[in-house]
Amino acid sequence: MRKQLRFTGVGGQGVLLAGEILARAYVSAGKYGIQVGTYTSQVRGGPTKVDIILDDEPILYPYAVDGEIDFMLSVADKSYQLFKDGVKEGGIIVYEPNLVYPSDDDKARWKMFPIEVITIAKEKVGNVITQSVVALAIATRMNNIDKELVYEAMIKTVPSKAVEINKKAFELGYQEAEEVLSKYTS
Amino acid sequence: MPREVVSTGNQLAAKAAIDAGCKFFGGYPITPSSEVAHEMSKLLPKVGGVFIQMEDEIAGISVALGASMSGVKSMTNTSGPGISLKSEQIGLAFMAEVPLVITNVMRGGPSTGLPTRPQQGDILQALAPTHGDYQSITLCAGSLEECYTETVRAFNLAERFMTPVFVLLDETLGHMVGKAVLPDIEEVERNIINRRVYEGDPLKYEPYNVPADEPAILNPFFKGYRYHITGLHHGPTGFPTEDAKLSQELIDRLFNKILAHKDEIESYEEFMLDDADIMIIAYGSVSLAVKEAIRELRKEGIKVGLFRPITLWPSPEEKIDELCNKFDKILVTEMNKGQYFKEIQRASGKKANEFETLFKANGRPISPAEIKAKIKEMV
Repeated sequence: MRKQLRFTGVGGQGVLLAGEILARAYVSAGKYGIQVGTYTSQVRGGPTKVDIILDDEPILYPYAVDGEIDFMLSVADKSYQLFKDGVKEGGIIVYEPNLVYPSDDDKARWKMFPIEVITIAKEKVGNVITQSVVALAIATRMNNIDKELVYEAMIKTVPSKAVEINKKAFELGYQEAEEVLSKYTS
Repeated sequence: MPREVVSTGNQLAAKAAIDAGCKFFGGYPITPSSEVAHEMSKLLPKVGGVFIQMEDEIAGISVALGASMSGVKSMTNTSGPGISLKSEQIGLAFMAEVPLVITNVMRGGPSTGLPTRPQQGDILQALAPTHGDYQSITLCAGSLEECYTETVRAFNLAERFMTPVFVLLDETLGHMVGKAVLPDIEEVERNIINRRVYEGDPLKYEPYNVPADEPAILNPFFKGYRYHITGLHHGPTGFPTEDAKLSQELIDRLFNKILAHKDEIESYEEFMLDDADIMIIAYGSVSLAVKEAIRELRKEGIKVGLFRPITLWPSPEEKIDELCNKFDKILVTEMNKGQYFKEIQRASGKKANEFETLFKANGRPISPAEIKAKIKEMV
């Protein structure tokens, strides 16, 4: 079944990596994954989106279809506001509550989960640059993607000297997603 | 064995260059093409090659041409604005018959345009990138795989025809990450073409004294074979001439050496055309959206197929003519204002109003939904 995911932020936050790892994970399982980013010519601060499509069947057109997106993770308000309408009714949105400000209408329209992605990376993992892998782990859990598969792809993709810190980032992100989900369903 | 990789189109173009035997890269970074250069800077030293980032695009192509004159397979890489800057030296490559692969990862234009967004605005630029009369060879990748295979093919064609060859990617293909299945490396190596070398008496060497439909035979410099390279009209040894007959023969040959061998250059894909009622013509990354649309339209019982030129120049004009006169309903879709559409009209002899068109030049990809909507209007 096709899954369409979108990560949004601002230029310089490194969200491309998470998408590449998800695509690699799917391909390693004999399936199909494509990631494509859209960014602006601002070096830093421009709204950025990364579309990830995962499927059992070959994927041709690499961009997610607005209105059909299953999952969006956003760490910047301007990108959130710009891209939120691409998420399907009842779809999942994870947002960084310190930086993204959804309206009450938004909360009725989508399944909204506040997770302090950047704070987790900065304070619990100890390096803000790991936010991409924190986000990756959250997306993995929220979309019921095989954890081991993504974990292995992550280890193979990140620079070798950063494997340990990213393992920690992945575990913390995954746990956090687990926690907010259990609260949501109970 | 075929090789499965997960990669961007830009990385695949670089990988292809290495596999095709490229040993020199000269260029200057520009979005959205820079990753080709990044990758070449990593890969070239490992195969004993040389990578130089020069002070600008003009210097980048200049050193790449110099390397090629020394007998080394050479590459430069850029985006549309960089081609504009390189255009004078591209002319020298056409005129002096210096093989060179030029990858252009297209972005929004004209001028600095939309640096981070895809467009197919450089189709006519690739046909006529510089002043004067010459015949361009331009290949256009339509998938991640083709970012690899078309770059390999470009090196082979450049060496075969002693000419610059363009490979067009666009921002979408250059930057997307996905699975690509590449041909067996031994197969790639088996099909490699190297430029001809003259091995006769050095005193009788006349590099440009070749049949009317064949390229010059330029020996590597510094090997004892004296000749001259110039952008001026030139005679058999490469020294300038104003002889009317030699001038005409030279320019005729720049065309004939390519047009007489179109069968070695032409390449296109026919996708689900056999039983189709409607034909779409598209190339490059747009064809990905078209194929996705076709898949969905066929589920609804609407029979649509795709014709996709891979070699854009020289165009597959006979095939275009045949297909355009077979189908009554044709949609031409491009991420520009219809640059290839002009060629389709010329080759088919049909008028503009006999086609439907979907053109977009705002740096946004054409989506399968837009194509489907357009086709449904045509049913």
